[in-house]
Amino acid sequence: MKKLLFVLLTVLALTSLVCTAYAGGPPPKNVLKGVFVQVDAKAGTASIKLDGHEDLKVLSLGEAIKAEDVTLDKKVLVSLDTHAGPNVIKDISIMFMDMTVTKICAFLVIGLIGGLLSGFIGSGGAFVLTPAMMSLGAPGAVAVASNMCHKFPKAMVGAYKRWKYGQADLKLGLVMAVTAIIGVQIGIKIQKFILDHWGNAGSNLYVSVVFVCVLLFVGAYVLMDAMKGSKGNAEAKPSKLAISLQKINLWPMMEFKVAQVRISAWITIPVGLLTGMLAATIAVGGFIGVPGMIYVVGASALVSSATELVVAFIMGAWGSIQWGISGLIDIRMTLLILAGSLIGVQLGALGTTYVKDYMIKLVMSAVMLIVAVSRGAKIPGYLADLNLIPQLKESMVFGLDQISFWALMAALAVAGIIISVAMIKGMLQANAEKQAQVVGEAVNHS
Amino acid sequence: MSQNVQLQTQLTSQKKKRSSTGQQKSTATELDKRTQPAFTPKRPVGKMLLFGALSLAAYGFLFFNEALVTKTFTLGGWHAAFPVMTAFLFSFVHGAFASNLLTVLGLEAKK
Repeated sequence: MKKLLFVLLTVLALTSLVCTAYAGGPPPKNVLKGVFVQVDAKAGTASIKLDGHEDLKVLSLGEAIKAEDVTLDKKVLVSLDTHAGPNVIKDISIMFMDMTVTKICAFLVIGLIGGLLSGFIGSGGAFVLTPAMMSLGAPGAVAVASNMCHKFPKAMVGAYKRWKYGQADLKLGLVMAVTAIIGVQIGIKIQKFILDHWGNAGSNLYVSVVFVCVLLFVGAYVLMDAMKGSKGNAEAKPSKLAISLQKINLWPMMEFKVAQVRISAWITIPVGLLTGMLAATIAVGGFIGVPGMIYVVGASALVSSATELVVAFIMGAWGSIQWGISGLIDIRMTLLILAGSLIGVQLGALGTTYVKDYMIKLVMSAVMLIVAVSRGAKIPGYLADLNLIPQLKESMVFGLDQISFWALMAALAVAGIIISVAMIKGMLQANAEKQAQVVGEAVNHS
Repeated sequence: MSQNVQLQTQLTSQKKKRSSTGQQKSTATELDKRTQPAFTPKRPVGKMLLFGALSLAAYGFLFFNEALVTKTFTLGGWHAAFPVMTAFLFSFVHGAFASNLLTVLGLEAKK
């Protein structure tokens, strides 16, 4: 009871911080949303009717924008170039892409596999869904917002299923989510500091380097641990680090019954904060949250991945409200992905009941390492933007972009294959064991 | 299901045992037991179809009113409630369909 009170007091005390926090990054500034009604090629201006305003606003066409680029009578997102002056258009994106049968099928399939991955390892899906939506024609901000809005109902269903299987620790999830939201706020402050000092290219480089380093290091460690686990038949034990940290008897101590862990809040809270900071930086906080819960807090991979779904639900709901207030959610994309992912997430969740702990670690590490390659392919471009290396040839830029995108797809495919094979093997084995048990009992009775 | 399989296997082994001792037994009772139909767990086909139809209708309604929906849902401010609540609603209806679909397909968690 005391511990619960502590959690509630922490939540109340940090409400002021949380009020200004965004999960998964802030909605973009310097972006206008509305419908162009008129364009004047000679004057180099275009009139736009902004959402929620009756008056027309006149914008100047930027250097890279021609009059033909201005689409009339369609809802658009306009990025402003603040360095070029007030109300200068930098970029125009049509907000709602036309839905074709191919696109609908692509959303359903990606949603299904992304959901399967989320249900199984607790996170993932977002890293591939957002680029996939963008490659199908959605503007970046709309893709991020729509993905966020699909994430929280999917995580809710997945968390409910895994809670029913006795895997999700709601208390640990709540503590992690609250601290992660505060961590997001800190992450955004760091991002802003870097943006102010080193500009957009510097910020991109920082994000990519952090992404690649964290994913390579944590991914390799999780892979090694999974390989060790696959060799032994013994039950997975908490790491040495977690056991030593659990011995630190520093008030307030928190007890997590499902995770079967008693640990000081001074250990749990930094894990949540770091998860949030990384969520704000690399948009995949789960890739640090789950290993954090396994190796630092000392929960099993099964409980950690299930608890991550609780965290994803709370953070996703918070982020969706933020993006919804900005009016950037394309509900058609959200619901099409959700159609596949709600099936996938439940399938992934039930799949965890048939596999051993190390299989979750194996899938997670495989995904992390392949995704690291994807982001690593972007680093040369950012280095060239900062003039740290010579400018890249166009063919090289195209090739690196292709590597980056297809590595993401490969991560999804590899995860889908490993999970499916492990699940089918687990189900067949469970059936065989059940049959053997029944026959054995029957023989004993007779 | 496993209970039933166990019962049927017991019946078979008991039959063998009794025939080996050569004891007389009531054939009528055994016939009843043999002809007893195999137990099959109830699959929620009706629920799946109901939630499937509801989900399909909801998707149909949304896409037939695509222009109105996309316009209203992206106005920002308090309109944020529309996409968030819609996502919630669809997750309940479509989630229930998905859950029943997996059960009908025989995909259930290990007990």
